[in-house]
Amino acid sequence: MLTVGTALLLAGPAAVTGCSPSARAPTGPDPLESPARRAETDAALAQAVGQNAAQAHPALAATARALAEDRMTHATALRAELRRARPGPASTNALPPAVPAPAAPAAATPDVSAARTGLAQAARAAEDEAAGLVVTLPGYRAALLASVAACCATHAALLS
Amino acid sequence: MNSRPQSQVPVAALQGALAAEHAAVWVYGLVGAFVPDALSRRLNEAATTHQARRDATQRILIDAGAAPVPPEPGYLTPEPVTDAASALRLTITAETDAAAAWRSVIERSPADADLRGTALEALTDAAVRATRWRATAGASPLTVPFPGAP
Repeated sequence: MLTVGTALLLAGPAAVTGCSPSARAPTGPDPLESPARRAETDAALAQAVGQNAAQAHPALAATARALAEDRMTHATALRAELRRARPGPASTNALPPAVPAPAAPAAATPDVSAARTGLAQAARAAEDEAAGLVVTLPGYRAALLASVAACCATHAALLS
Repeated sequence: MNSRPQSQVPVAALQGALAAEHAAVWVYGLVGAFVPDALSRRLNEAATTHQARRDATQRILIDAGAAPVPPEPGYLTPEPVTDAASALRLTITAETDAAAAWRSVIERSPADADLRGTALEALTDAAVRATRWRATAGASPLTVPFPGAP
């Protein structure tokens, strides 16, 4: 009993600080996994809005296509960094969905304001997620996520 | 006013950010004469923001024991500013330069530093402003995927 208790006591602080060697070992999901997946989801959403709004709302459609292109570029860069950090077969299938597939219905709705709101919400959420990672990641990754956050802020600004 | 240990502060990157803020303040002082009055509120707001960032960056450098770089006596623009279009292009250049300088601060700061938050705010603000000026200028595309990236 005492041994178990001691072990727990020792494990506690190390797990909290995240500074122990085990916390750095590449076992858990890479923190870039979630923003990479989100970028792919957002790109698909924006692409759908771009197609659905092409006839009735060409201006929104053009914005959506530009957003889709930026977010695909983010996904590509984040995936490249993920592969660089952990070469080998991707383990993404083992992970639960990082993003609760947002606003996907907005793409199908003819309501242009709902589609616009869906894109804006996705942009804000992506900005928040990337910005949250900027503080903790190493320099190169922090700078990459900072640019992603700033880009998503420009998307939100275009949609506001 | 707790001073940061100098080793934690990326002095060279911050000097670059300060130089970019000096340049931005100069740009917004220049372009007012060339753009329609309708834009003056946005120009003033941009100028005020960059002045505040310049002052805050100077304080960070002084706290770190470094002498802040002064503004240049004059700046060479990529093209002559002669009308609203060239003036707006210069504001986009100034914001793009500021974004790059602040991204570099993030890349060179230690993790968990307050400085990263400050730099991200400055990078984001510059990126959004550049996009808004591009929209005003009718430029395309309006966004770039990695603001501040080399």
